[in-house]
Amino acid sequence: MKTKREINKGLILAGLLCLLVLVSILSLAFGSVNIPVGTVVQSLTGQDTSSRWAFIIKTIRMPRTIAGIAAGAAFATAGVLLQGVMNNSLASPNTIGVNSGAGFFVMLSMMCFSDNLFLKPVFAFAGALVTSLVILGLAFLAEKSRATIVLAGIAVSSFLSAGMNMMKTLDSDLTINATQFLIGTLSGSTYKSITVPVIGIFVAVILSCLLSKALNLLGLGDGVARSLGLNVDLFRIIFVILASCLAGLAVSFGGLIGFVGLIVPHICRSLIGHDARVLLPAAGISGAIFVVAADLLGRVLFAPFELPVGIILSICGAPFFIYLLLRKGGKRVNA
Amino acid sequence: MLEFKNVNVSVGRTLILEGISLSVKTGSITAVVGPNGCGKTTLLQTLNGTSKVTAGEIFLDGDDFLSLPVRERARRLSFLPQFRETAPNISVRGLAEHGRFPYLGFSRTMMEEDRKAVDSAIEFVSLKEQKRKLVSELSGGQQQRAYMAMQLAQDCPVMVLDEPMNFLDFESQREMLALVKKLKDGGKTVILVLHDLNQALTVADELVVMKDRKIESVSTPEEAVKNGVIERVFNCTVTPVDVSGMVQYLLT
Repeated sequence: MKTKREINKGLILAGLLCLLVLVSILSLAFGSVNIPVGTVVQSLTGQDTSSRWAFIIKTIRMPRTIAGIAAGAAFATAGVLLQGVMNNSLASPNTIGVNSGAGFFVMLSMMCFSDNLFLKPVFAFAGALVTSLVILGLAFLAEKSRATIVLAGIAVSSFLSAGMNMMKTLDSDLTINATQFLIGTLSGSTYKSITVPVIGIFVAVILSCLLSKALNLLGLGDGVARSLGLNVDLFRIIFVILASCLAGLAVSFGGLIGFVGLIVPHICRSLIGHDARVLLPAAGISGAIFVVAADLLGRVLFAPFELPVGIILSICGAPFFIYLLLRKGGKRVNA
Repeated sequence: MLEFKNVNVSVGRTLILEGISLSVKTGSITAVVGPNGCGKTTLLQTLNGTSKVTAGEIFLDGDDFLSLPVRERARRLSFLPQFRETAPNISVRGLAEHGRFPYLGFSRTMMEEDRKAVDSAIEFVSLKEQKRKLVSELSGGQQQRAYMAMQLAQDCPVMVLDEPMNFLDFESQREMLALVKKLKDGGKTVILVLHDLNQALTVADELVVMKDRKIESVSTPEEAVKNGVIERVFNCTVTPVDVSGMVQYLLT
């Protein structure tokens, strides 16, 4: 028999899904040009395929909304994974420098191979993975001290930011492309640019959810997890690879979108608890809602001008991060 | 039977444990005692892989324990580490369910047998009424019992507990000792590290006394008192006292 708490979790997940559908429809409808919601629905159901509204929805807003959903789900899921693996509630792709690692490598690929759409995700993943492993190694050397992980992340981030700025300075063509990328934007997303990363993100999210039980055990501490028969080192590496894959792929088309991986896992934990089996899907859906909603806000606030999604998220994320620091001081993540 | 044969543990060039040989009798309670830093926890941690054995072997019922796959080990020996920084924000039942991890397939779906094992473990530690509560909402003693429920759900013949009395008040310590005795009565082999010598002398069938990374003696508590090893290692005087027909020990 299901308990009240389990039913509530189910309801929350269903509610989040409905909210995502709603926000996605609004994202398709509003922007520099407002399209009636009825027309959006007609276009989605195939009743309207030839009007100019349908063209805007299909070629501009649909890939952008899909990009927002994928990026949000990726960053939030990566956040839950990294917080679990490092046992640190302040860990996220942004705070520990994973996004910067991916960004650095993406800019490197942009500089060396121009705008090769297939190399970008590969470079982004490689950059995110290298950075994650460096941070994990530093955390291991420092006996997993939470402050050390975050401080090491800040140090690695600034090192990589310096590298990115150096590339920007040396390559004037890159400056034009990189500005939006460094802020984090979904503007200009096309099916071509998002197909490979979105498929990769989808697979990584599903895999993460399938391995959620192991993430729960890691949250109990290495000693307990080992005693329960979990190959701690192997699963830690698997989760780091998954988180790097998610963050890297999202950075490859969305740029350095910050704070989703930090805020969303915390909000979800307060809503549905620490069980990764529910937390991971909830964070994935919530992350998608956040990014799509922030992107929508960026488009309508000063329409016809657009604010990149990264700016909106940082405006919301920075105060929340400070609140988190003051309230919890980076408490351990348990499951 | 669990056997340690000439086990060494080193970290870098530092020897943490040296030439440990020990046989733990099946169905008994073995208490490991010794001054701080003598290697008690390290000795137990060789059993869950936290401390790496650099020389020697460990056998469980004749099998080379350290060569067994991790999950196989977790089905035969359960281990409760001493230090847990914060209590998890999951229900008592959720925690106990983790104990079934070594038995679950890739989908991690619990079968009827798993659910029964979890229910009986929760009942054993008398937390049936609290099973829906979050572990973080429980008292220290109840939290320790919740962890023990997880360990019991693991359903291993050998149970290792590293300082299970840490941070517990007197009443909770008494409850925990009663549970340890109940485990033995249920046929389990229990190995535990204890700081309180009185508790160790009272509850143990076999007492392992450690000093300076080595085992000083392995004997019954009575023998350990008689041969003076307790007094020597802990620099104290042990006086047996008859309390209502039961021998207790006065340590001064």
